[in-house]
Amino acid sequence: MKIKIGVIFGGRSVEHEISVISAQQAISAFDKNSYDITPIYITKTGKWYTGDALLIVDNYKNTDNLLAQCTEVYMTPTFGDFALYGLQSSIWKKAEVFKIDVAFPVIHGTNGEDGSLQGLLELKGIPYVGCDVLSSAVGMDKIMMKMVLKESGLPVVDYTWFTDRSWHLDKQAIIEKVNKIGYPVIVKPSNLGSSVGVSKAADEAALIEAVELAGRFSSRIMVEHMVVDLKEINCSVLGDAANQSASVCEEPLGSGDILSYKDKYVTGSKGGSSKGMTSTKRRIPADLPKEQAMLIQDLAKETFRVLSCSGVSRIDFLVDKKDNKVYVNEINTIPGSLSFYLWEATDKNFGQLLKTLIDIALKRQRERENLMVSYSENIFNISGAALSKSGKS
Amino acid sequence: MDNILFFAALAVILVYAFAKLRFELHMMQLNSYRNERYFKWLKTNLVITTRVLEVIALAITGVLILAVGPGAAGIAFVLIYALLAYLLFVKKQKKPVVFTKRAQRLFATNAVLTILTGGIYFVLTGKTFCTVWVIGFTLFLSFIYIAIANILMAPVEKSVNQWFYNDAKRILEQRPDLIIIGITGSYGKTSTKHFLYRMLSEKYNVLMTPGSFNTTMGVIRTIREQLQATHQVFIVEMGAKQPHDIKEICDLVHPQIGILTAVGEQHLETFKTIQNVQKTKFELIDALPSGGLAVLNADYEFVANRPVADRETALYSSDNEQVDYYLKDIKYSAKGSAFSVYRKGEHLADFDTRLVGSYNLSNILAGYIVARHLEVPDSSVAFAIKKLEPVQHRLDVKVHPNGVTVIDDAFNSNPVGSKMALEVLKGMEGQRKIIITPGMIELGEKQEYYNTLLGEQIADSVDYAILVGKNITLPIMKGLKNKNYPDNQIYVAQNFKDAVNHLSTMTRSGDVLLYENDLPDTYEL
Repeated sequence: MKIKIGVIFGGRSVEHEISVISAQQAISAFDKNSYDITPIYITKTGKWYTGDALLIVDNYKNTDNLLAQCTEVYMTPTFGDFALYGLQSSIWKKAEVFKIDVAFPVIHGTNGEDGSLQGLLELKGIPYVGCDVLSSAVGMDKIMMKMVLKESGLPVVDYTWFTDRSWHLDKQAIIEKVNKIGYPVIVKPSNLGSSVGVSKAADEAALIEAVELAGRFSSRIMVEHMVVDLKEINCSVLGDAANQSASVCEEPLGSGDILSYKDKYVTGSKGGSSKGMTSTKRRIPADLPKEQAMLIQDLAKETFRVLSCSGVSRIDFLVDKKDNKVYVNEINTIPGSLSFYLWEATDKNFGQLLKTLIDIALKRQRERENLMVSYSENIFNISGAALSKSGKS
Repeated sequence: MDNILFFAALAVILVYAFAKLRFELHMMQLNSYRNERYFKWLKTNLVITTRVLEVIALAITGVLILAVGPGAAGIAFVLIYALLAYLLFVKKQKKPVVFTKRAQRLFATNAVLTILTGGIYFVLTGKTFCTVWVIGFTLFLSFIYIAIANILMAPVEKSVNQWFYNDAKRILEQRPDLIIIGITGSYGKTSTKHFLYRMLSEKYNVLMTPGSFNTTMGVIRTIREQLQATHQVFIVEMGAKQPHDIKEICDLVHPQIGILTAVGEQHLETFKTIQNVQKTKFELIDALPSGGLAVLNADYEFVANRPVADRETALYSSDNEQVDYYLKDIKYSAKGSAFSVYRKGEHLADFDTRLVGSYNLSNILAGYIVARHLEVPDSSVAFAIKKLEPVQHRLDVKVHPNGVTVIDDAFNSNPVGSKMALEVLKGMEGQRKIIITPGMIELGEKQEYYNTLLGEQIADSVDYAILVGKNITLPIMKGLKNKNYPDNQIYVAQNFKDAVNHLSTMTRSGDVLLYENDLPDTYEL
């Protein structure tokens, strides 16, 4: 009997393609002696499919063709129902049902990394890999994340935030706030992964333009102080609320000031096949003094713990080269390629990483089952006398 | 005209047949499909309204067929059996019949037998209304027919069960990595199962047989319906009503670790002697592989005195320091218990739990021995033990806002349990120890003896006794007097309300109150 893993990927997200690649990498790395993998692909329009054709990357070049070979499925929100049902069934074609034991979301960005998918899995009561609703949502929202980290005493750069609407209503007040932070600044939509909609502004005019751009992606916008002489360092954390371990640090080597969407994911695609995060130019381990690397690892673990994450996350840091100050920049609760390359450079191959992730998911499930839950009593069954009695007291 | 009447009568009697056969099926189901139990039940339930009415109906219709003629008989059939069917359909059932696969098979067999009887009669005689009467007569005899159907289906049911058994075996054979733990004992096996489950869950994905699923069929159902690929440990509770019950379960699951919590005088009507109970319970230990771990409660003579060869044994006790594992430094407080575990003089660990009572602690110890064997870290076990929940109204300790500690043992009503409750009360830190009890009931001829004994135990461990009910507590009073317990420390209450009123006048912060046994409202005090 093998453990049946449903790998959920794709999704309604700007990082749809990256998710496909991350999922393919993971699926091929699973130890097939212990696990049966069911690929569950969510299209850009939000439909769910399964089928063996989803296991070949090249098939994704022609989506219509690919989907024709697959079965459209759905999950119910019913508690305890771990099955995938075929959407189309008739007398001739039986509703196909696949059962899974553990769900493994590998979706980057919106509708997958932000707690929404986790909410469905939570309703179903199925064990699933990675952060729960709360930590996914906080980790995805750059503003909330900054607030929580700042409150917990973790180093973050100065920032302010506002809604798209308030920007249009009272631009001047917001600009004044930004002026206090001091230019240059970086403008980000609050809720997107990758670097989509992110731009820098060296002055007020550029700020206006940058906010307009960010406003197209999110109604909540964050402006933060830009570290000019910057070194980006990433560190992955694996674990849960009780135990965390940190990977070696990496230094992504972008071509511009900030790693743009193109740098991050498209660079490798010239040769034909996309390789996701693995193709980004980077230095592993990062060229850092030992103490600083250890500081970053500690901060990474603390960030993970404060946000009560689970599974594998990647925490991105900014190091100001001028004064060597370290800032937590953001967290990716479902990092590209699941950060396996960082763990390979630390102490685990991808297969071992995946096994650890499944074990953590099952552990969380056990801990939940151990909590006291009682809503079996039907209050309507308590006799009228008892109700009126309690009403009086 | 006669033809129409015949078909009408036939249709009505078939409708009645459905209702009647469903009724018989229901009765058979309530008797677990066992003929011997069914006949035992039938002894007191043969003469019931339904059957009396059937006799009257058969008499009337029989006379009409012979004396008046088919027309009148046909009308009588339709009217009378429609009424009988109606009466059966509207009859309220506490626990309605469940049409399981097995029930469907038995119902169908019974229906075929009934129709066959009528059909054969018709073919042989060609008499229409007499056939209807014969069917009616067959339905009257349906209490015999269902037993025959049951016998006919026995081989089918056996092979169905065998299929389930083999299927469960096949599933287990695919899981050579699964750690299987068997738990049995006359008392304490369910608590131990829950405690062990909680401790092992710190490290493993654990499945346990739920609630009362402690028979072979229950274990088969658990395996077939609940065992997942993610499970790493399977805890099987094994119950025994007769010899070989436990061996049968072991032959299916092949446990690697066995816990025997107690051998006591239980189910003696089938076991006859305690030696037979011992033999049956030890079927679990005998089924362990060579070198397998046998965890044995040495507090029971008939566990400790049985030699076990070729197994790794761990004898445990709640107070005997001569055995492998034992408890020491037990302290009870309003927060629960604190205790230490030792192995052969070596201190292993200290634990805190909300549970109180030496039996609870002994069951925890059994769980700890296994958890330790399976390398769950002590710190995790300590957390799990701290988190164990007491069962409501079973030595359930709570501190009320007014500073009074209440030990709620309202659901207990046996001498062993009440003795332990008094031990807890005695050991608990606090100002005055107060008991409120109506004594124990339903102990047969030994009731008076045990209540007197309870009175003596109360005299030894309690500062103030509130006895609920004058007459019912006379034996307790006798026990108190035997020990010269002072009168001014006894209050005899009319009923619980009176007892509670009296309590409210006297309790103060720091008091410890034990509610021992709670009688149903209908019980005359």
